[in-house]
Order: sequence, then structure tokens, then C-alpha cells
Amino acid sequence: MKARRRRARRVTLMLLNLILGLIILLPFFWMVSVSLKPAVEPFAIPARLWPENPTLENYVTAFRPEFRVYFLNSIIVSVSTVVITVTLALLAAYAFTRAQFRVLSVIMTLVIVAQMFPASAIIIPIYKMVKSANLLNTYVSLVLAYVTVTLPVAIWMLRGFMASLPLTLEEAAAIDGAGPLRTFFEIIVPLCRPGIVATAVFVLIVTWQEFLFALSFTSTKDMRTLPVGVNDFIGQYGIRYGELMASSVLISLPVILIFFLLQRQFVAGLTAGAVKG
Amino acid sequence: MATVALDHIVKRFGALTVVHDLSLEIADREFLVLLGPSGCGKTTTMRMIAGLDEPTSGEIRIGDERVNERAARDRDLAMVFQNYGLYPHMTVAENIGYPLKVRRVPRAERDVRVRTAAERVELAGLLHRRPAELSGGQRQRVALARAIVRTPRLFLMDEPLSNLDAQLRTVMRAQLKHLQRDLATTTIYVTHDQIEAMTLADRIVIMKGGRIQQSGTPAEIYARPANTFVAAFIGSPPMNLMSGTGSEGVFVHPAGQVEIPSVPRGQVTLGVRSEDIRIVGPGQGHMTGVVFSSELLGDTTLIGVTVGPDLVNVKVGPEGGMRIGEPVSLLFDSKSLHVFDAEGQRLSGGRP
Repeated sequence: MKARRRRARRVTLMLLNLILGLIILLPFFWMVSVSLKPAVEPFAIPARLWPENPTLENYVTAFRPEFRVYFLNSIIVSVSTVVITVTLALLAAYAFTRAQFRVLSVIMTLVIVAQMFPASAIIIPIYKMVKSANLLNTYVSLVLAYVTVTLPVAIWMLRGFMASLPLTLEEAAAIDGAGPLRTFFEIIVPLCRPGIVATAVFVLIVTWQEFLFALSFTSTKDMRTLPVGVNDFIGQYGIRYGELMASSVLISLPVILIFFLLQRQFVAGLTAGAVKG
Repeated sequence: MATVALDHIVKRFGALTVVHDLSLEIADREFLVLLGPSGCGKTTTMRMIAGLDEPTSGEIRIGDERVNERAARDRDLAMVFQNYGLYPHMTVAENIGYPLKVRRVPRAERDVRVRTAAERVELAGLLHRRPAELSGGQRQRVALARAIVRTPRLFLMDEPLSNLDAQLRTVMRAQLKHLQRDLATTTIYVTHDQIEAMTLADRIVIMKGGRIQQSGTPAEIYARPANTFVAAFIGSPPMNLMSGTGSEGVFVHPAGQVEIPSVPRGQVTLGVRSEDIRIVGPGQGHMTGVVFSSELLGDTTLIGVTVGPDLVNVKVGPEGGMRIGEPVSLLFDSKSLHVFDAEGQRLSGGRP
């Protein structure tokens, strides 16, 4: 009786998960489907879930020279942001974990409060700052903005992770003769690797797909990042859905690939702090 | 190699005073054991010597030099932690060699010294493993090897054997003692296990509530405990303590009386070790009681006897097992009686 109820529960949960998965994956599926449809097909009635004559021509058009420039820009901006954010977050998280001042916990709260303002609310002041600093249409402006946006969460993620490391390790290092910097780089950082991976992937995903800042701060094609570049296919007189979706697929692929490669470490990094801390 | 001196050390954590005005001198090459129940301040005392905690007041000297202001890494000592403190991301060899690496010892020399230290604690075959792949005893030996890979002025050991099973603990205890003799390095060892203290120490310092209760060689402490706390802490089984009253050279207890010429008037506690009591025929001993338990330990039998309100342990030969409930009479060895006053402080007695 009990076993049957448990089984029924499991089946229900699985069904609900399946439905949830479908809802989440359907747009993604549609993106891939449309990207494979020839120009005449997206609006064919009745609509087809899968193209009648799948073609790669959209991909050929999407992968034009500008696209390669956008791609490179996105890589430059994202990688810079990931490196800077993770480095700063590691240092800040260590300070927040080990130093014992009451002020720090207040600052830690402020850090997360800052995160609650939507990007659209802060974009105008940031735009003005960027403009008066003469940084419009540069990589620096985007990297600065992205570091600002991702750093708070990154600090929180890494702090949770570091708090779970036993204090004895640092004490052992001190006894062994290591100074604070050596302890940080040779003991703390290597042990935080799962946390670092999780944080880096998070920062990468946020940065890679960011649209609003990228659109506002860049004005010439040679500085655009991928999400803005996709916009090229939305013209005044029509939207070229096939190429739009093909570009979207191309943009998503690297992030999905990285996520799958690092999936295990990512999940470990997310949960480690929570369970042990 | 060095002497250590603690001079009127006080340690407070907020409103809580953990160590009260503690002064202690440790001789060069001495194996000193800090012994006491948990929360007695022994670990805090060691951490202050290590430089991991700062004393609230007082001076710490290592080899005649004040070290209060020195960071742990500049005190030239090695420490074995209770939970080992091994670096999980390094191999056994890297763990052992880390103190050398930090001190910029050339790689070739480092390898030789790591190997020597590892061989000394029988780890040579495991140098390429990581701590997670080792058993508790092996991890403990890695921590030990990391401590002996250098020749520090001082070894500190914080309950290094407490996470091992009983059998392994006995083996490691002997190895530790041997190792310390060999290296002839001043060692401070913290434990709550009186057997470890008795077997390892040149000198034991017994602490309670942040104060030293007694300091002396294991034999001294066993023969002449300074107070009832020490008497009840040292020995297995601990000393039997019976409270009664003294009057006219006689100790009076609900279950009998004992002639002790020096006993003062009023409330006193009588202490007798289990091996200083004999079970004799009814009416022939000092006190009468009933057998409560009889445990064969192999080479001896431990008889528990209910004597008035007290339970007294008596050690007898392996053939001396008794029936529970049997009435007995206890005869005390009059040369080995310990008398403590109402506050538990030693007044007289004990073996010279």
C-alpha cells in the first residue's frame, strides 16, 4: 500500500518534471526548427513543428563577416569580465569569510541589495558615467558594466564555498611557514576550484547573452557583441526569422557546450557551500 | 630545540576567561603533556604557544626570546592537528614537503628529506596518494611526517591520536615516544586521555577550568595527587575517594573507620588506590560492604564494592572473581592513604 503510494508519487513527480522540461525546451526547439526552415516556410499555414525541407542556408547567411566580428567582440568582453569578476570575487569573498568585523556583514548585505535594482533602472546613470569618462563604444565600458552587475552574486557564491573550508587548513599553512598571500593562492584558491568553475560559468552566461548595456554603449558595428548583432535581422520592413534563429543557435552553442562540459563541477559548486556551510 | 616559558598568561574570549594567570616553564627536550577534560584551556594554551591565538596578557618566550608579537610562521615550530589539517589537493609527498617548499629548500634536497621523513613513519609507499585515499592512521602519520620533515625548535601536538581506534592508538603512542627520543626536540602534547599522558610524558601538567592543578612526572602525580580532581582523573580505575569526618586520629565513614594519626578534625576525603586495598574475611578490615560488580580484565580482576554511599574499586588477582551481592570487608594499606581537606586539597599521605 505504502510502496504503491510512493510509486504513484514518483510517477506524478516525473510527469510534472517532464511537462516543466517541455515548457522550458519548447522555445529552444522552435528556435532550432525555424533556423532550419527555408525563407518561405516560417509563416506557412498550417504551421509545422519540423521543417518540410530542412536547409542550412540560414546558417550560411548568418555566418557573415560581421558575425565573426561580433563573435570576437563577445569573446573579448565575456572572457575579460569572467577573469576580472572571478579574481575580484575571490579576494573579496576571502576577506568576507575570514575577517571578523561587524561592518563587513552590513557591507555584505548592501552588496546583495545593490543586486535588486533592475538593469533598466541603472542604465541611464551608468550611461552618463560612461559617456563622461569618454568610454562609449569601447570594450572597457561593457566590461566595467558587466563586472558591476555580476560581482555581487559572484562574491556571494564564492563566500558560501569558502566558508565551508575548514579553518585548520589555513592554520596548518601558517604553522608550515606560509604567509597570507601564499596561503590564499596555494591552499584556498585550489580548494575553491568547483566554486570558481560555478561562478565563472554563471558570469559567462550572464555576460554572453546581455543585450541592454551592449546596445546602449556601442554605436558602431565593429564594437557590437552577438546579442546586439542578431538585431541586424530585425529591419524596418520585416524580420528575417530564419537567419535570426540561425544566429541565435550559433550564439547559444558555446555556452551550452561549456555548461555540459563543466556540469558536474557546476552543480557541486552550487551545493557545496549550502550543504556544509 | 628550545625551552618554552609562559609568564602569567591570561586568555579571555569576550567575557569568558579560558586561561587564568598561567605560568609554566618547559625544559629543552622535555616531553610535556597538557592533560585535562575538554574546556580546561589546554588546547587554547597550546594555540597561544603556536601563535594561532593571542594571549590577552602575559608573555610567551621560546628559547629566552619573547614571541608574543611573532606570527605563527616565524616561530619555527611544527604542529600536528587533531583533525590532521592535511591539504586535500596535494599528494602525500607534497603535503610533507610543503614546509620545505615554503622555506625555499631546493627540490633535490626536499625530495630526500620528504623520503626520509616518510620512511620514518612508514609511509614511503604512499607518497603519490592524496589524503582522501588514506586511512585515518595513515593520515595521522602524514601529519606527523610533515612536522618532522624540518628540525623545528618545538613540536606541538593537539590530541593527535584521538581520531584513531584503540589498537592503532597504542601502536602510534609507542612510535611517538620513540620518535621524540630520537629527535630530541622539545614537545608539547595536548590530550584528555590520562593513559596517553602517563605513557608519553616526561612531565604532566593537569589543567581544569583554565588553571594548573598539578605539574609533575607521571610517577609523582600518580603517587601524590595534589587534589581530589587529579586523584579522580589519573589512574585506571581512578583513585577511590570517600568522604567522612576526622576526629581524634580516626577517619570516620558510614561503613567503618580507619586510624590515621594525622587526620584533622572535621570534613575530610580519604583517597585509596584500588591496588592498595585487600579483600579480607568479615570483620578483619577497615570497612564493610557488598560486592557490586566483578570484572575480569585478564591479568587482574576489578571488584566494585558498595561501601556506604561510595563505590570502591579493588584490584585483585585474576583468580579473585566474586559473586555479586557477597558481603566483604576491606583492608586499606595504611602507608598508602591520601587525605584531602573539605576543599579537596591534599593534606597528607601517599607514597613518598
